[in-house]
Amino acid sequence: MIRRLVVNGRARELDVLPHQTLLEVLRDTLGIFEVKEGCGEGVCGACTVLLEGRPVSSCLVLALAVRGRAILTVRGLEGEGGLHPLQEAFVKSGAVQCGFCTPGMLLTALAFLEHHPRPTREAIRAALEGNLCRCTGYTKIVDAVLAYARGDEGHG
Amino acid sequence: MAEAVVLHPSLRLVGRPLPRHDARDKVAAATAYAADWGMPGMLQATVLRSPYASARIVKLDTGRAAAMPGVAAVLTAKDVPRNTLATDVPGQTTAVGPLRATLHVLATERVRHQGEPVALVAAETLEQARAAAEAIEVQYEPLPGVFDPEAALAPGAPRVHEAGNLLAHWRIARGDSAAAFARAAVIVEGEYTTQFVDAAYLEPESGVAWIDSDGVITIRVSTQVIEHFRDVAEVLQIPQNRVRVIGPYLGGGFGGKEDVTVEVYLGLLALRTGRPVKMVWTRQESLLARAKRHPYRMRYRTGASASGEIVAEQIDLLADAGAYAYLSALVLLYSTVTAAGPYRVPAVEVEARCAYTNNPPTSAMRGFGAMQTVFAYESQMDRIGRALGLDPVEIRRMNALRRGDSLPVGQVLETHVAMPELAERVWAALGPVRPARAAHVKVGRGLACNLQPYGRIVWLHDWSSAWVGFEMDGSLVVRCGVPDVGGGQASSLCQIAAEVLGVGLEQVSVHIGDSALTPLAGTTTASRQLYMSGNAVLKAARELRAQLLAVAAPMLGVKDSALDLLEGAVVADGGRSLPVPDVLRRCAREGVPRSHLAVYHAPAGEPVDLATGSGKVFPDYTFGAHAAEVEIDMETGAVRLVKYVAAHDVGRAINPQSVEGQIQGGAVQGLGGGLLEEVILEEGINLTTSFASYLIPTAADVPDVEALVVESGEGLGPFNARGIGEPPIGPPAAAVANAIADATGVRLTRLPLTPERLARALGLLGKAG
Amino acid sequence: MSAHPLEYAAPETLEDALALLATHGPEAKVLAGGQSLVPLLNYRLARPRLIVDINGLPLASVHADDGRLRLGALTRHHELEESPEITRRCPLLGEAARLVGNVRVRSLGTLGGSLAHADPAAELPMAMVALDAHLTLASSSGHRTVPAREFFRGYLTTALAPDELLTEIAVPVVPGAGWAIEEFSRRPGDFAIVGVAALVSLDRHGHVEDARLAFAGVGDRPVRVPAAEDALRGGEPADARLARAAEIARDALEPASDAFVSGAYRRLLAGVLCRRALGRAVARALGVP
Repeated sequence: MIRRLVVNGRARELDVLPHQTLLEVLRDTLGIFEVKEGCGEGVCGACTVLLEGRPVSSCLVLALAVRGRAILTVRGLEGEGGLHPLQEAFVKSGAVQCGFCTPGMLLTALAFLEHHPRPTREAIRAALEGNLCRCTGYTKIVDAVLAYARGDEGHG
Repeated sequence: MAEAVVLHPSLRLVGRPLPRHDARDKVAAATAYAADWGMPGMLQATVLRSPYASARIVKLDTGRAAAMPGVAAVLTAKDVPRNTLATDVPGQTTAVGPLRATLHVLATERVRHQGEPVALVAAETLEQARAAAEAIEVQYEPLPGVFDPEAALAPGAPRVHEAGNLLAHWRIARGDSAAAFARAAVIVEGEYTTQFVDAAYLEPESGVAWIDSDGVITIRVSTQVIEHFRDVAEVLQIPQNRVRVIGPYLGGGFGGKEDVTVEVYLGLLALRTGRPVKMVWTRQESLLARAKRHPYRMRYRTGASASGEIVAEQIDLLADAGAYAYLSALVLLYSTVTAAGPYRVPAVEVEARCAYTNNPPTSAMRGFGAMQTVFAYESQMDRIGRALGLDPVEIRRMNALRRGDSLPVGQVLETHVAMPELAERVWAALGPVRPARAAHVKVGRGLACNLQPYGRIVWLHDWSSAWVGFEMDGSLVVRCGVPDVGGGQASSLCQIAAEVLGVGLEQVSVHIGDSALTPLAGTTTASRQLYMSGNAVLKAARELRAQLLAVAAPMLGVKDSALDLLEGAVVADGGRSLPVPDVLRRCAREGVPRSHLAVYHAPAGEPVDLATGSGKVFPDYTFGAHAAEVEIDMETGAVRLVKYVAAHDVGRAINPQSVEGQIQGGAVQGLGGGLLEEVILEEGINLTTSFASYLIPTAADVPDVEALVVESGEGLGPFNARGIGEPPIGPPAAAVANAIADATGVRLTRLPLTPERLARALGLLGKAG
Repeated sequence: MSAHPLEYAAPETLEDALALLATHGPEAKVLAGGQSLVPLLNYRLARPRLIVDINGLPLASVHADDGRLRLGALTRHHELEESPEITRRCPLLGEAARLVGNVRVRSLGTLGGSLAHADPAAELPMAMVALDAHLTLASSSGHRTVPAREFFRGYLTTALAPDELLTEIAVPVVPGAGWAIEEFSRRPGDFAIVGVAALVSLDRHGHVEDARLAFAGVGDRPVRVPAAEDALRGGEPADARLARAAEIARDALEPASDAFVSGAYRRLLAGVLCRRALGRAVARALGVP
């Protein structure tokens, strides 16, 4: 079935089979490798994308079911000036080690901050509980999200 | 000892928390991990695995599968040119005699654990490959199995391997322990049990192989050991120089990618089909098939004087080696050497054995045998302190090793031992005790210290090599065969080279992890890469610096000792300077090399007779202390971590941010093993093959980890750094167990410290329970 | 991860959807949020011939009438968490939804999907049993309404026939009732080892007028314990009475052991969590924040 997927603002027509997950289509058909597969059952969060602004596990979404709806991956965050400030905060805070969880972590954090611009450390931890990281122990990830949230306040 | 390196009174880059180059690529999701790679015409491959823990293969027919649409190859044991893999010592060393152990690439007549590979399939699509794997006809005849190391060593136990189930046995006997125990005022006995733990990196095992235009089998694979190209060549029975392994940045390793994973399968399938082949394990497959951390049963008997000095210790260790040897014997050696912990014990007996079972294989995981023992020796230390009315810091202070002391194996500690001060610092950092939040909550605190070797066993004659060179424009290139598992291995090398050669980090390009194109650096294991490859890069950079300054000196009319390299220029006393490119052009004219290849050899030694205890086993050790504060729900047994502090003497922090990251991440992995994680097996069948059932900590399960980076200025690495990759995973389980005991008076001796186990120990399940 | 080939249909009317289910019956699977179904497809634990994607159907509305909250089956977990209408009339639903899985599950997962999946450890089935909700099941031959207590028939098993679709959930609103959910899991977001939902309403004398207790994780379906509810009704909601009711509930439950948790421990948790839930529910009924 030829269907339209809208990824990072760009519409693409492609052939999608009924059983294909969004993750499979993004990686194998569209070559969008910034979406990672860590578990294939929606637990680890490495394949997180934003579907109309909400985080979803792309491994638990059939691609046909999201035809025509806005999908955002981490590559969609970068503006003309380069990295998104949250990405910069992750670099500066040392929130990245192996980096495999990072794209999903960034998207989940951004979706959360959209509605909670001044979070506590505890609230950040609760918001990220569905994104597993095996390297950092999370402390510097929380540091980064908090630094970004505070920085935003300063600019606003 | 590394030479004291004082190039500048104040270092410009080393010692600063600089953002890593790879972090920028990773937040932009530009890093191409092993599974993000592809080639034109690439096949997809899968492994057929045994559903049985112990069985005989009575029929194996691939005919139907091979004829299915899209199938390019179906391989079984008979298709493997040499169906054995040596699993003893990955890396540069090829022979250690008695430890040599093998396993089959693909099962022949027997399977010895669930998940053992039986056949390989490559097809045009993954679905076709999986369908064909399902169509392979295998008939198994289940055999009796043995699932516990104690049972495996009992007379009449089913034999996992023909030669018997005892895989390795190490022994230490130092001092007259019988006499010492007779003098002891207090004797504490305990039995401690640890569980199967999975490395559980986020990136599953994955890779792509192809035959390059020069005929070399090239395998781009997520691995901690690119030197496995030799193992691939042996299995394929082709010359070692016809296999190349490229190690991209990893999505985590933690020891689980030290042994071979997909690379041999990919090599076989690429050779057979002549086409590029990709293999990515599912999470379920990874949790099912990968080697785990060894479960241990540890019996400790510790005697102390009335004032609290440990006088004698008897230790009996038994580890579950699973179905194949892998690195079990070496893991057990680490346990044996560290069994008494960072304490002075004049009389020690250690008996350590590991046995084959029909459980999943066990092998390397962060901590490598030196971490299970921490749970036992630090629980013992706490119990002795309590028995004698000494607080946790005091009992450890009294017994802490110092420089010049020797370990039970006879190794004298030649560098600073930061033991008492680390314990004091973390204990103080917990701050004032907070009152419990509710009537059913009790608060407790626990302390645990450890020592962890860094660098490989000295008789393995470890070495690493690195190439550092200037381009004509003054930019710098570092080449080093190090795999970067995510710990900042590559960026630390950049920091060292840039420091010595006076350039900014942004002017350094680093090429890593290519067995054909980068100088071999050995494994990213054993907390050795900063130590070994850091020293290799330091050596290369210093040689290159000397070459350059020797050419620059006459240009500036001064002695080279009066010159410095700063911000891309050669600078003389008095402020005169030359841009580095000018010097490089002079080098070119004069035929002076603008690069240097250096090999760093670790201090080597002869094998030690452990029993008699006579010498050096490891180059050096990293010491640490962790402190935990917990809240216990006295009605449910729930343990909530409130505060966590971890300190390690890292000698010198090359990048303090990376060091903190290692400490925080290692501590949380250790907390996972302490509280949550357990591979649950029933008769060898794994019940925890998903991330919904194998529970690694989430952000909401752990508190912030306060990392105290202590720099004694002593260590064998570059700028006197010590290894820090593994050490932080050791103490957490013991620190939490000690905190639970502090809060409740109840001591748990089995990991993980689950709420149900605590509830049972608290008597909440009553007699009816 | 790839499932095996299958057909996909996205009907735009309920009639079309029901006709597809009538034709394909057991060979069809309904796709709502997909958070339970897609993992089963990925791991080939479910191998339907046809996926009926109902996301295009008008089943996402939320209405209040006659003291009932009528929730379309496609109401997402995040809407249960965030909708002011739902929070005002039945705050227990928001608390239950917040405990479901992770944020990604709550983005897509639906109320109807969670109920139809019928995991005995899940929060929403437990909540619906506590709330005495009524479920509307539609098929091409008509509608029927089933009380939540009769909807759940066993482990992952419901009263839904292969040709039926769960379309609406009607929740009676009890003004002024106190409510609480307590659950115990190894990690936040995991399925509960044990969960309990409590609803307590007090009469004008401050006595318990009605009490309802539903448990998750203690059997093959959500479990009510009428004996414990009876022990609460008519009396003052004093701590001792709450504790006694919790003991009755605990003693009435017979949770099984598995490789992860013993039945005895589930039982302990059921008692402790029940007492705590009742305490919080009573406090809320009394207007203590």
